[in-house]
Amino acid sequence: MNWLDLSSSAFMAAFFLYCFGFMFYVVAFAGRKWSHGDPERFQRKWGKVAITVSSLGLAGHLVFFFARWIGQGHIPVSNMYEFMTFLGMAVMIAFVIISLIYRRLILGIITLPLVIIIISYASVFPQEVQPLIPALNSIWLKIHVTTAALGEAFLAVGFAAGLLHLLRTVNYSKGADDAKSKKERFWVETTLFMLLVACGFIISVFGFRMAGYEAEFKQEKVDVTQAGEAVTETNTVKYSMPPIVKPYNSTVVKAEEFLGANKPLFEAPSWMNGVNAGRKLNTVIWSLLTGAILYGLLRLLFRKQLGAVIHPMTTDIDPDDLDEISYRAIAIGFPIFTLGALIFAMIWAQIAWSRFWGWDPKEVWALITWLFYSAYLHLRLSRGWHGKRSSWLTVIGFVIIMFTLIGVNLVIAGLHSYAGV
Amino acid sequence: MFQNTKCKCGHQNPTGTVLCEACGRSLGEEAEADGTELLEMRYDGAARRSQKSNPSLLDRVWNFFSSVKVAVYLIIITLIGASLGTIYPQESTFIDAPDLSSYYKDTYGISGEIYYALGLSHTFESWWFVLLLVMIGTSLVVCSLDRVLPLYRALNKQQIRKHESFLLRQRACYSGTIDADADGWVDRFEAQAKKQHYKVIRKDGALLAEKNRFSRWGPYVNHIGLILFLLAVLARAVPAWQMDEYLTIPEGDTLRIEGTNYYVKNEDFTVEFYSDDVLPKELKGTARVKLYRTDAVMYECTANCTADAKTSQLKEVKRHPIEVNSPLEYKGYKLYQFDFDNTPILRDVKPVLVDKKTGKEYGPFKLSISDPETSYQLGPYQLELRQRFMEFAIGDDGRPVTKSREPKAPAFIFLLHGPGLAEGGEPFIYFPMQKDKAAFSQDKLNAALTDRFDINVKGMDNVNFVEFSTFLNVRKDLAMPYIWIGLAISMIGLTMGAYWHHRRIWVRLDGTRVTIGAHTNKNWFGMRSDLAAALKAAGNEVDPKSLDNGGNRT
Repeated sequence: MNWLDLSSSAFMAAFFLYCFGFMFYVVAFAGRKWSHGDPERFQRKWGKVAITVSSLGLAGHLVFFFARWIGQGHIPVSNMYEFMTFLGMAVMIAFVIISLIYRRLILGIITLPLVIIIISYASVFPQEVQPLIPALNSIWLKIHVTTAALGEAFLAVGFAAGLLHLLRTVNYSKGADDAKSKKERFWVETTLFMLLVACGFIISVFGFRMAGYEAEFKQEKVDVTQAGEAVTETNTVKYSMPPIVKPYNSTVVKAEEFLGANKPLFEAPSWMNGVNAGRKLNTVIWSLLTGAILYGLLRLLFRKQLGAVIHPMTTDIDPDDLDEISYRAIAIGFPIFTLGALIFAMIWAQIAWSRFWGWDPKEVWALITWLFYSAYLHLRLSRGWHGKRSSWLTVIGFVIIMFTLIGVNLVIAGLHSYAGV
Repeated sequence: MFQNTKCKCGHQNPTGTVLCEACGRSLGEEAEADGTELLEMRYDGAARRSQKSNPSLLDRVWNFFSSVKVAVYLIIITLIGASLGTIYPQESTFIDAPDLSSYYKDTYGISGEIYYALGLSHTFESWWFVLLLVMIGTSLVVCSLDRVLPLYRALNKQQIRKHESFLLRQRACYSGTIDADADGWVDRFEAQAKKQHYKVIRKDGALLAEKNRFSRWGPYVNHIGLILFLLAVLARAVPAWQMDEYLTIPEGDTLRIEGTNYYVKNEDFTVEFYSDDVLPKELKGTARVKLYRTDAVMYECTANCTADAKTSQLKEVKRHPIEVNSPLEYKGYKLYQFDFDNTPILRDVKPVLVDKKTGKEYGPFKLSISDPETSYQLGPYQLELRQRFMEFAIGDDGRPVTKSREPKAPAFIFLLHGPGLAEGGEPFIYFPMQKDKAAFSQDKLNAALTDRFDINVKGMDNVNFVEFSTFLNVRKDLAMPYIWIGLAISMIGLTMGAYWHHRRIWVRLDGTRVTIGAHTNKNWFGMRSDLAAALKAAGNEVDPKSLDNGGNRT
């Protein structure tokens, strides 16, 4: 068995251990109610199992990382697959550190699913080992990417604690019908829904990949050159999901049947005329659809808002503790993020691209993330934004981080485009 | 607004003081009402400069920038502004700028046209964005000065014995009774606090344990670093501090760095690709670059310095293989591998003149593309160079023109003198590259002479061309050291502020009654366990959580 095989086996092991770890966390907190004996003891016992299993998951993840490093000869953070798996690992590490400080098991209820989503998302991207391009061949690849990811991981744990704080403090009692409680419940629900949409994306990708679905379109794009001639450019666009929308101005070359339909329902609007814009829109629609189905099923199963399902598990945690954990995670993550995503990034950019700052979209979004969290810190320290308000900020902050990491590559690109598919 | 700032204890405080500088009692409106809410401990309740009564105009400007609320607004506006700048590529990303006004419209449609019209295509150079950065810089200076001085004063002259209302309104507090041996109790408390690295001061039946005060300066150190960084960024606008040039150097050539006394030679350019067996499936067959390298030599000119490297006297000063992550550095100049071009560039050819009638060949002669002689004597014939085109084309008016200075389609017009030719010579056009010869129909252009003469190259040995040209980016940026220093200071400040916590415990003894208040700027969890440990050592065991006086619940 070579290093790369060991690495991918370890990855699978880590993935399943995380899933089991998550289930044990749920058992520890949800099962307390139906235990016959002492609920405290029950929770401690299953909490220990959950910690052990998820720590084993992290161990497997570390084996994956170092085995791949040895196997391919350079640090595995050079494409989207490698980066996202690393980010998942960093979130686990940050989670372990914060758990060691505060010993609040409940964090696992949000953090583990987050890690599972991140690494499953990673698996959507090609996993083959790719040799380094010259731009990445630098010691700063190791330093910049790992520090930036670790900083982001702490900020993500800050989000997990913030979301828990919201689930804990938002009023889920019967008869809480005031406008404020309704609004808060709506937004907590929306946040959970977005996480389900991320699951929906992953499920649709893997579902259709396993089914081997394929469709193909020929897209014609007419451009008028400066000399006034019309030039027609023809592109072939391949879909791996059944086309709900087809690319703008395109014809079907081949579309397998799905649920009796073999024709796209709509055409992408004309302003979405990029080669892959139609396919991306189609993927977004499938993710939303799958996410919505998932959400609907869960609602049918529990017959109440998902927030109301999680809320009872959190009730014996002091909300102030959650608020403090969230703030602390961000206070720890912010300097690391500054160092990794801005300062080390500037040093590397100065060496590789001859300028420390070039307003490249990725750079700008790292700056936006930084500005946002500095606003968070100022609001908290000087304006007294504690509790719910600060927790909502961590949710927004997490959305910004995810956009910086993924959205920029998928939507905007720029110089960091090699981190894409 | 009139505010009575004289405390009950008799101390006269400056306007704006929240907590009496002497005893810690809260001042102002709620002072009389004996509140039970938590105290506002920001800046230790000291008055800030911006809280002066009767502000003048300058004070008003100061007050504006001293507000954290304003600072947060500035941050948020900058954040939104910056995000707008990432919607479409910025103008600065084009090195060879296309026609910008139509570029955005043609590429992105109506939204691109609006984007360009609003000036968002150069967001980061726009006046409003620069103004925002300047305002943030001002806010950094003013906010910091406004707070750091009062805070410094407040922390420097702390009273040990605080009023009970001050202690019991801290977020962590305790009150209880102790045994008769008060001194022994305080000794044990002090010993434990010292074990936890607190500095302890005791005075008149009161105790102050404090640690990590320096962490309070963290944010201000960070701000100083950021101010220095922003000033360094502004300093980069000084033209003499900056240089950003691009050089295209064919292999073997030496070029002068414009505006300097330095010359760079591209001795050899290497590009290596990965072989297929190390590439994953989906990349097989693609040219994935492994390495670009320019073996560069930097020279300094000592005499006869002109644009022509051949006649200048050069002295080698630095030799370095430039790769993507490894620029050549010399005296503040940095040469970066930027790109390369592998279109072959014709350097020179060695053609012969053929007299088609007799079949006789004259020559060969060396015809340099960029630096040809004005005439060549070949046997009885003479070629006199009349005109040279680097990239030959036929203009709108039907006359020959050159499209660029790159030797992409070189052409030479000679006057051919010799026996059997007209008195003043007859024009002959010569395309050294076979493709151009056909494309521009050299034979037709030469009309009657075509049947009598030809110029051609015998074999590839007589063609000399350069395979690669390297593109180097030459930079000089004298502000860089200040940028790095600013960032380093900022990072030190962040670390100080984030990873250490300023903790204080005030203990007040009244007979057998003990009242304790504790304060930290973050991590109350740790603060409470420190206090609980000290209480336990002294003899009053408590659950850390019970010390919590309620948070800033909102």
